[in-house]
Amino acid sequence: MKKIALLLLLAVAVLISCTKDPVADVAPLAPADGPDQVVFDPAQVPYPTLSAYRFFKRPMRAQVPVASVLPYAPISSLFTDYAEKARFVWMPAGSKATYDGDGNALQFPESSVLIKNFYYDGVQPGNTRRIIETRILFKRNGQWEFADYVWNAEQTEAYLDMAGSTTPVTWTDANGVTRSIQYRIPSAGECQMCHKIGNTPVPIGPKPQNLNADHAFADGVRNQLKKWVEHGILEPGYPKNIMTTVAWDDPTEPLELRARSYLDANCAHCHAPDRQCSYRAIRFQYNNNGGAANQGICMEPEEPVDPSLTYNIAPGNVARSMVHFRMGSNDEALGMPLIGTSLVHAEGLALIEQYINSLNQTCN
Amino acid sequence: MYKLLLPALALLAAGSARAQNTCATAVPVGLGLHTVDAVNGTPATPYCAASGGASAAEWFTFTATADTVIRVSTNVPGYPTVDTRVHVYTGTCGALACHAGDDDSGPGYSSICNFSVTAGTTYIIAFDNRWTSNGFTFSVEEYSAPPPPPPPVSLFPFTSTGVGVNGIAALDMNNDGLDDIVGVSSTMVTILQQQPGGGFQPVNIPTPQADNSPSWSMAAGDIDSNGQNDLMYGGGSGVTFMMANSDGTAYTEVSFPQYIFSQRTNMVDINNDGHLDAFVCHDVAANVAFMNDGTGTLTFTQGGFGPTCGNYGSLWTDWDNDGDQDLFIAKCGCDPVDQIMRNNGNGTFTEMNAALGFADSHQSWSSAWGDFDNDGDMDVLVGASSSGYHKLMRNNGDGSFTNITAGSGIDSFNGQSIEWTTHDYDNDGWLDIHGGGAILKNNGDGTFTVSNNVPGNGPVADLNNDGFLDVVNGSTLLVNTPNDNNWMRVRLIGTVSNKSAIGARITITTASGSQIREIRSGDGFRYMSTLYAHFGLGSEEEVTQIAIRWPSGIVQIIENPAINTLHTITEEIGTGVAEATRSDVNVFPVPATDVLNVTGIAANSPVRVLDAAGRTLLTGNLLNGRINVAALPAGAYVLEATTAEGRVVRTFTKE
Repeated sequence: MKKIALLLLLAVAVLISCTKDPVADVAPLAPADGPDQVVFDPAQVPYPTLSAYRFFKRPMRAQVPVASVLPYAPISSLFTDYAEKARFVWMPAGSKATYDGDGNALQFPESSVLIKNFYYDGVQPGNTRRIIETRILFKRNGQWEFADYVWNAEQTEAYLDMAGSTTPVTWTDANGVTRSIQYRIPSAGECQMCHKIGNTPVPIGPKPQNLNADHAFADGVRNQLKKWVEHGILEPGYPKNIMTTVAWDDPTEPLELRARSYLDANCAHCHAPDRQCSYRAIRFQYNNNGGAANQGICMEPEEPVDPSLTYNIAPGNVARSMVHFRMGSNDEALGMPLIGTSLVHAEGLALIEQYINSLNQTCN
Repeated sequence: MYKLLLPALALLAAGSARAQNTCATAVPVGLGLHTVDAVNGTPATPYCAASGGASAAEWFTFTATADTVIRVSTNVPGYPTVDTRVHVYTGTCGALACHAGDDDSGPGYSSICNFSVTAGTTYIIAFDNRWTSNGFTFSVEEYSAPPPPPPPVSLFPFTSTGVGVNGIAALDMNNDGLDDIVGVSSTMVTILQQQPGGGFQPVNIPTPQADNSPSWSMAAGDIDSNGQNDLMYGGGSGVTFMMANSDGTAYTEVSFPQYIFSQRTNMVDINNDGHLDAFVCHDVAANVAFMNDGTGTLTFTQGGFGPTCGNYGSLWTDWDNDGDQDLFIAKCGCDPVDQIMRNNGNGTFTEMNAALGFADSHQSWSSAWGDFDNDGDMDVLVGASSSGYHKLMRNNGDGSFTNITAGSGIDSFNGQSIEWTTHDYDNDGWLDIHGGGAILKNNGDGTFTVSNNVPGNGPVADLNNDGFLDVVNGSTLLVNTPNDNNWMRVRLIGTVSNKSAIGARITITTASGSQIREIRSGDGFRYMSTLYAHFGLGSEEEVTQIAIRWPSGIVQIIENPAINTLHTITEEIGTGVAEATRSDVNVFPVPATDVLNVTGIAANSPVRVLDAAGRTLLTGNLLNGRINVAALPAGAYVLEATTAEGRVVRTFTKE
C-alpha cells in the first residue's frame, strides 16, 4: 500500500512538473496504462527516435504495444540468422486495408505502419535479451518508405540509421548451442533489394496467404485476418477459401507444402515476377507460380556454377540440385539467400533436402 | 564392399566379404554382373571423369584376354540406377594413369564407360563415392559396337593443371614482366609468382582483416603511384581497397563504410587528371566512383553514371576515339536497358542509349569490347546472361553503331553466361570472344565459329610466358597450346598519365593492317586480367610501329619493334631529363582556376607548363610560390620545375 501511494504521489509530481516545465526536445513516452496515443505525422516522419511514435508501452524494450498497435506473425517467416522477430501493424483510426489477392500484400491505407523488432535471447555474456533493430515501413503519399531504428546498448531507445552497419552478436539458443555472427543491419538499399516490385517499395509479409491462421493475441487465440477485421483495420468480405501457406517447421503438414511455404518466405521476394532476380526463370512464390517446372524441378540452371549441378531441383538427388547447393553455401556470391543471412539455415536446408529426396519425377 | 552375383556367389562368398577394399586388394572381375554393397574402400585418384572430390572407392581389376573394347556400366537392366562415377587406370597402385572414366553417360546419373583394351594388360577399375556411397550393380561386357570417334579437336586446345589457389586475378604483381596469379582471403593475398623458367612461387602476404571480400569482383591498378598494384575488392555490402606498400610486401586496408552491392569493379582515371580513380557498379542504387586526390586518397562519390538499379557490368573504353574514357554498363534485373555513356571531357557523361541503338531491354552481366574487324574502333558483343539474345554491334567510326548480329554466327549461338570477354587466343590477329561456355573464333570476316570445348571464364594472362594467353578457372590453370603464329605484348608505365597506364590506346601496324588494344582494369564481370596488352600477329613477321596514345594525350611511337616479345614502354613527355624524386612537392588547387600554388621548392624556382602532348605553353619563375595559369584553356597540364636536385614534374588540371 505504501508503494502504491508513493507511485501515485510521483505521478502527480511528474504531471505537475510537466505542466510547469515543458521540455520539448524529448519525445514523451506513452504511459504504461495510459490512452493509446501513437504519434504519426506524415510531415514529420521518420522521427529520429523510435520512442517518438509511441508504438509501445514503457519500458519500450518489453515490446508491449499500445492498444491501437496489433501484433501479427506470418505463418512461415524469413530466416535471418536465427534472429527473433516481433511484428506489429498500425493504421490511423478509421482507415482499413483491403484484400488484393491471396498472394499479394494487402492494400494498405495512407499512413499505415508495419513495425518489426529483431532481437536475440540468450545473448552473451549475461544471457540476456538484446533488441538490435526495429525496421519500419510506412506509407506516405501512396508510397512505402523505409526507416530503420538501431537500439542503444541500454535498450532504452532506438535511433534512425539508414546507412547500414554490422554489430557482433553471440548468443546461446534454447538447445544450448552458442553462435557468433556479425549481424547485418540493413541500409536503405538493402531494404529496397527485397522490398520491391519493379523498383517500387512494397511490404512482403502481410499477404492473406501468410496471415490466414490463428495467432495468440494478448486476449486469446484468433485467426489473424478476423482479428484485423475486429480491430477495424481490414475490410471484411475477403474470400473464404484463401490458398494459405503452412508452417514450414510443422511436421504434421504435407512435406511439399512445407517446402513451398519455406521457399516462398525465404526466396520469393526475389524469385518472382518483377523482383530483384526475376530475369532468372525460377519462381518460388506460393501462389500462381506456374507449377513444378517453374519451381525449379528438372529446370536446368541458367548460371552453371558446376556442371555436376544438373538441375535447380534434381528429383531425389540433392547432390545434383542447385537450390540445395546454394542454400548450403556461405559464399557471398554463390550462397542463397543473397542478403540477410550469414549462416546456413541448417533446419531449412534439411527440409529442402527431405523435400528433394521425396521427389521422383524423371527429368527429360 | 563387393560380391559377385549368382551363380558364382556361393563359391566366392567367403572371399568377397571384405570390409575395406584398396587398390592393392582390388578384386579381379571378368565379364558379367557384379554387385557393390557400399562404396567404402580407399579413395581413388587421379580422377578420370568429371572433377570433384570423393572420399572412398571400390577397386577391381580386369585383365584383357584379347584386343577389344570393354564396356563397364552401372546402367544394368533389372537393377536400380545409382549415381556412380568410375575411373579406369593402367599402371600400378601408387602410379596410376587414367585410361578412361565416366560420370553420367547413363540414365539416372549412372556411368557407362567404354575403353579399348590390349590382350594381357590388367586395367584397374575404381568406382568412387563422389555422389553416393550406396551400393549398385555393374556389368562388364565386351562392347561390340565400333569405338566412338575421337572427340572433335577444339579450335582452342588448352591443357589443365591445378595451381592450388582460387585465382581471381592474373597480372604482374612483382614488376618482373611476368604475369602472376592472385588469390585472396579476408586476411591474405596469395600471389603465385610466375618464375622465369616456368612454374610458380607462392608468396603469402597477410593483410588486415578485410571488411569486404571480392565476392562479386576484383580490380587492380596502382592508385597511389608507388609502383605496386593495389587491389579493389567488390563485396556484397561494400568496397575495400588493399593498398600495396612500395615494395609490394604488405597491404594497408582502406574500407569505405557506405553500403554498396558491388558488381563489376574498375580502376580508371575518370576525370583524366593523371591519377587513377576507381568505379563500381551498384546493383540497387546509383553507381559509385572513388576519386583520387592525387595522393592516393580516395573520396566516395555517388551518382552521375546512369540509373539506380540493375547495374552489373561496367567497362571503360574510348568508343568514340576522342581520347577519354567512355563508359558502358551491361544491365540486368531491374531496368535492364544497357547504358552507353560518352565522356564529355569535363567530368560529365551523356547517356546515348537510344541514339546509338542500345536502348533495348536485354539481360546481361557483361560485355566484350574490342576491335573485332580491325578497323580502328571498339566494337562490342553484349552477351546474354539468361534466356535472351546476344547483340553484336559494329562501331562505324563516326559515332554510330550497326547491329551486325544476324549472319555472324552469334545469332544462332545460344550459350549464355555472366562473363563475356575478348582476347586473341590463337594469335591470328583477330579478337575472339569468350563466354557462354564457348570461345567464338573470330574468322576475320564478320563471322564467328563456335568452339565448345574450352575453359570456363576466369582471369586471362600469359602465365607461362609463351606469348599465348592462358585462363585461370578456379584453382585450375588452363594452359593455351601454342601454334606457329607470332605475337607481341606491350607493358606501359605512365608518368604524366596514371602509372598503370589504364586507358592507354595501343595501335600496332603490320603489312596486313592495324590492331588496337586498351589497357583496362576490369573486364567481363568478376575477374581481373593482365594489364599488359596482347597482340596476335598471325604469320606477320614484322611490326612496323607501335603507337601509344597515353591517357594524357601524349602520343609515343616505337618504330620497328621486335616481335614475339614483351616491350616495356615508359611515357615520355619529350624532355629526356631525368626527374628528381620529391614527394614533398605539391601543387594546388587542382583543378586550378587562375593561380597555381607550388610548395616544397624555392618560391622563385624556374618552371614551365607543358600540355599533354609535351608542348611548352608557359615559362618563367614562380612568384612567391605561385604561377598564373589563367590564360590556359581547360585541360590537363604538366608543371615542370627545375630545382637543385633536378627536374620535378607534377600534373594538374585547369578548369
